[in-house]
Amino acid sequence: MTTTERTSEKKASAQPGKTRAEKALAKFHEEDGPREGYDLGMLKALWPFMRPHSKPVVLSLGLLLINSAFSVLAPLVTREAFNALDLPGGFNTFASYGALLLGLNIVEQSLAFPQLYLMQLAGARAMGDLRAHVFQFLHTRKLSFFDRTPVGRLVTRVTNDVDAINEVFASGAFNAIGDLVKLVGIVVAMLLLDWRLALIAFVALPPVALLVNWTRKRLRDAFRRIRSTTARMNAYLNEQISGMAVVQAYAREEKAAAEFDQINDAYRKANNQSIVFDATLDAAIELVNTLCIATMLWYFGGRAVQSHVSFGTLLAFVQYIDKFFVPIRDLSSRFTQLQSAMAGAERIFQLFDNTEEDAPIVKEAAPVDASDVAFELEHVSFEYKPNVPILKDVSIRAKRGEKIALVGATGAGKTTVASILLRLYEVKEGVVKIFGRDIQATPRDELRRNFAVVPQEVFLFPGTVASNIAAGDNKTDIERVKRALERIGALDLFERREGGLDAKVEERGSNFSAGERQLIAFARALYRDPPILVLDEATANIDSDTEARLQSAVWAAMQGRSALIIAHRLSTIRAVDRIVVFHKGRVVEQGSHEVLLAQGGAYARLYQLQFGRNSQTNVAAE
Amino acid sequence: MSSARPPKYPVGLGDQFRRNLGLYTAGTAFLAAQQFLMARRDFLVRDAVNAAEASLADAAVQDAVLILVVSVSAFVVRVASRWTMFTSGRNVEYELRAALLDHLHKLGPAFFRKMPTGDIMSRSTSDLQQVRLLLGFGILNVVNAVLAFGSAIFVMLSNSVRLTLASFITFPILMLVTRSFSTRMFTHMRQNQEALGKMSDRVLASLAGVRVVRSFALEETERATFGVANDDYVQKSLLLARVRGSMQPIMGSVLTVGTLVVFFYGGYLVFHHEMSKGSFLSFYLALGRLIWPMLAIGFVTSIVQRGRASYSRLRQIFDAVPEVVDGPLPTPSAMKGGLRVENLSFAYGERKVLDGVSFHVPAGTSVAILGRTGSGKSTVATLLPRLLPTPKGSIFLDDQDVCELPVDTVRRAIGYAQQDAFLFSTTVAQNIGYVLDDADSAEGMAKIRMAAVEAGVLEEIEGLPDGFDTVVGERGVQLSGGQRQRIALARALLREPKVLVLDDPLSAVDAKTESAILGAIERQAAKCTLVLITHRVSAAKRCDRIVVLERGQVIEEGTHEELVQKGGVYASFAEEQEIEAKLAAFGAEDIAPTMMEAQVA
Repeated sequence: MTTTERTSEKKASAQPGKTRAEKALAKFHEEDGPREGYDLGMLKALWPFMRPHSKPVVLSLGLLLINSAFSVLAPLVTREAFNALDLPGGFNTFASYGALLLGLNIVEQSLAFPQLYLMQLAGARAMGDLRAHVFQFLHTRKLSFFDRTPVGRLVTRVTNDVDAINEVFASGAFNAIGDLVKLVGIVVAMLLLDWRLALIAFVALPPVALLVNWTRKRLRDAFRRIRSTTARMNAYLNEQISGMAVVQAYAREEKAAAEFDQINDAYRKANNQSIVFDATLDAAIELVNTLCIATMLWYFGGRAVQSHVSFGTLLAFVQYIDKFFVPIRDLSSRFTQLQSAMAGAERIFQLFDNTEEDAPIVKEAAPVDASDVAFELEHVSFEYKPNVPILKDVSIRAKRGEKIALVGATGAGKTTVASILLRLYEVKEGVVKIFGRDIQATPRDELRRNFAVVPQEVFLFPGTVASNIAAGDNKTDIERVKRALERIGALDLFERREGGLDAKVEERGSNFSAGERQLIAFARALYRDPPILVLDEATANIDSDTEARLQSAVWAAMQGRSALIIAHRLSTIRAVDRIVVFHKGRVVEQGSHEVLLAQGGAYARLYQLQFGRNSQTNVAAE
Repeated sequence: MSSARPPKYPVGLGDQFRRNLGLYTAGTAFLAAQQFLMARRDFLVRDAVNAAEASLADAAVQDAVLILVVSVSAFVVRVASRWTMFTSGRNVEYELRAALLDHLHKLGPAFFRKMPTGDIMSRSTSDLQQVRLLLGFGILNVVNAVLAFGSAIFVMLSNSVRLTLASFITFPILMLVTRSFSTRMFTHMRQNQEALGKMSDRVLASLAGVRVVRSFALEETERATFGVANDDYVQKSLLLARVRGSMQPIMGSVLTVGTLVVFFYGGYLVFHHEMSKGSFLSFYLALGRLIWPMLAIGFVTSIVQRGRASYSRLRQIFDAVPEVVDGPLPTPSAMKGGLRVENLSFAYGERKVLDGVSFHVPAGTSVAILGRTGSGKSTVATLLPRLLPTPKGSIFLDDQDVCELPVDTVRRAIGYAQQDAFLFSTTVAQNIGYVLDDADSAEGMAKIRMAAVEAGVLEEIEGLPDGFDTVVGERGVQLSGGQRQRIALARALLREPKVLVLDDPLSAVDAKTESAILGAIERQAAKCTLVLITHRVSAAKRCDRIVVLERGQVIEEGTHEELVQKGGVYASFAEEQEIEAKLAAFGAEDIAPTMMEAQVA
């Protein structure tokens, strides 16, 4: 690439929103962006979470007011002390005022800690409750809700959004109330002391206030830009690292470096702007101090001649001016925090509007006929999307201890049958019963404890091999874990691995092969030891050693319980009591191996295929 | 800075300091000017008060006006000093971050296995921030403190030597307190961050695994586990709150004690006329100027400590030696795309995965490398374009050792498309046109469309809400697995490399995707040299030759017909998969009407 090319390329993409992709991205992220604004309704919605912790909040606010009053009082004492110096024998008075000042300060400082801490205590606890509530709320939504909402967004609700609200407590944004009291107190005190001097001091305020205000706005915008460029930069970097293999394979390192340079540079620019404004704000505070002092001195110079203004008053004024500007400077950051807290709260409460509760009890519990039917589907129809039927009038019935295999093409609705048994999705028509009890009349926990599911794509939780097998137990019973693994013949496999049963499971189990993950899922099912096993056999490409282990695991897991198996291997199919053949959402054949064979239908043909193969292999072996 | 490709930046702290020496010098000059002006101000205040006390109104007013001028100038130089000094800190951060990505681009999978993404991210954000603070805030405050001490102590001493000495009493305490607090604050902040990270990981796992949670009725356990992480986070934030909350009162108390000492003793001196009121106020103002530098010194010592620790963590990335480096030969002018693998062996640490693998792919022909999981076939694919440290003298591109050529050249010539379809969080068009410099041009879009057609995904893309401009989301979450896979395939096809390496493009795809991909593979095989990594016979048989790998060794080689005839491992694969395919399609074929009737009856 030549330099001119590089330059033109940069120019082309340096203008935001110019290219198609950038426009599309801007639109995409806008939907994600927080709306900024105020809404008192939000405070009302937050109240139930705050109420249990309102005592420390009230206490803290009380202390805040006391503190603000004290901090207004201190300069007055200073003034009295120094005025006393001009009187004969005034040093004793001066000393006693000094002692008073010391006392005031000690009280002020010792109140500061409980004041700050109580507020944070209330905030952290209330937000902990809110977080737990959001978490719980999410776990009671229908599964279909998760099918259409990206997980990352939901995690943000529990973490970042709650933290944004908490920041209001943690940063002491409520101190703004105290600041306001302080400001009023200072103004009143100054006016009372010497209203002319006060007015003179205030003369310097408007221009500086304008300067501060101007800077404050710029600073707020700059911070907003920093936030968005930081997010962009981290996202880009993160993606570069996780997609490194692609970047390298496509030899796009230089292009990526150039793209990153733009973001990195935008980040630096945004920060450099904030540097100037930040410095201006700080310097402006210092400037106004001196300006006020200068104007007061100018006045004092003239008035002191006539002995109207005492030195003590001047000193008190200097201290007041010192105290006056700090809250004004802090106001802008507090404003921003409040805004982002509101945005966070809004997103959380929007989530709470969702009414799709998972598996609510909608029917009266019918008397349980101590039936020996383990599970039963009666004329069940189902669709994920309206008018796209997945299951049509499906009836399956399994006796206690019976093992049923579902066979059929991909997309025929086999996996859906399993989901419906557990009521992960609601049927459109028909009735599903587990041990004779309608699932719509069974509490969801009670219902699902009847099952152990071994899915095709096994999900592992962060933790260890053992804790994953003992999922559902807060305390891992290691002996039981071992027994479960032993029964599927995989104990040696996992004990041989580095770390054994305590080997750490990395994110989503990426440090285990598909086959090993499936074995863990089998052990998980056995550890649980429920009456019904639901197994979706893996079709993934698995090495031959694991394959053999998996076959014996299937056998072990089925023993002594009812089972519904979505089968892909003939060895599994032959091990079951009954076979249900699916075709486009309908059951077309159902019966035992022998019956189906005798019927001479689809299954019979399949079996011929298998038989033919076996005889061939036998020939080859001989 | 004007060229699109950032130049190489030095990563040494000393080098970085020297690169910004001009800014640092200017900043120091500004700081000196500021401190000089502030000292002037303090003296002017003294003179003004004394003049007023002595009833010299004109002098007092004149001094007041001078104070105005001085303070406005001080304002300007103060802003300028911050601007110069902090900018250099930002420059260092900018350059180090660019250098970091640059270096990461050179590192191979071995490094990324050792250092997880989260770890690298934390180094590139919080550690880099610490280094920036060290070279911006840190240096500014050290310089400022030295100058401020000089200027303030000069003012204080000129006003009263005794009062100056008295005011020093609390200084050491203040410095120590700040230092200890800022160290503790940092520790607690880090713990707080870690607790937040753990909790957020927990939420992520629980929600990502929501199906398992539901199926096993794990909600209660999940809530309990989350509860522990949540409580821990609350506790950690309260610990931080305690440190933060106690810092203010303790420092405030120390400061107050210091001020009161000055007041008492100063008042005493003023009362006994050993010090003028003007001197006292001037002294008070100078002392006030010392408070921040004093606190800053405390902060800075801890910043230096942290900055050094952080820099050494960054250094671990910078010092990682790239395994794959450019070879000495220039890029050949023309390439045909013939590939020769000779006696290739490779091991991940102790574990040997390839053992003496050899095969030929003449330019323009196609080869399938077939084997089960763990046979080493993917490793061969990654070694071809040197995405792993390819051993010398084992892989030849047009009879030239790939290790002798520039890395870029090899990777451009041998286009590798990996198994997991990683998409970038941008639009569909940008993903497919990943290698295009201008994907937005009409020409670029035409290519993108062509590639989408080739990969059999055009129709579906056009069915997306915004067509080619649909944003795919992080890692392509907005798309289905099959769509992702075919978009990734389109991205690979658009590249039109001399040698195309497709690593298991049929893993976990639905029937529709499979037939689309198989069609594309066949067409590609006619266009370029094709290396297809697969475990599927249906895909392999479309290639001119097939190499069967097992446990890192070539066990069979030949055409589909030859190998089937031979009746070896390949033949049994073929048969096994045929049956499996029938099984998967079982019932999908049209069932005879008579059978349906039988069922109804």
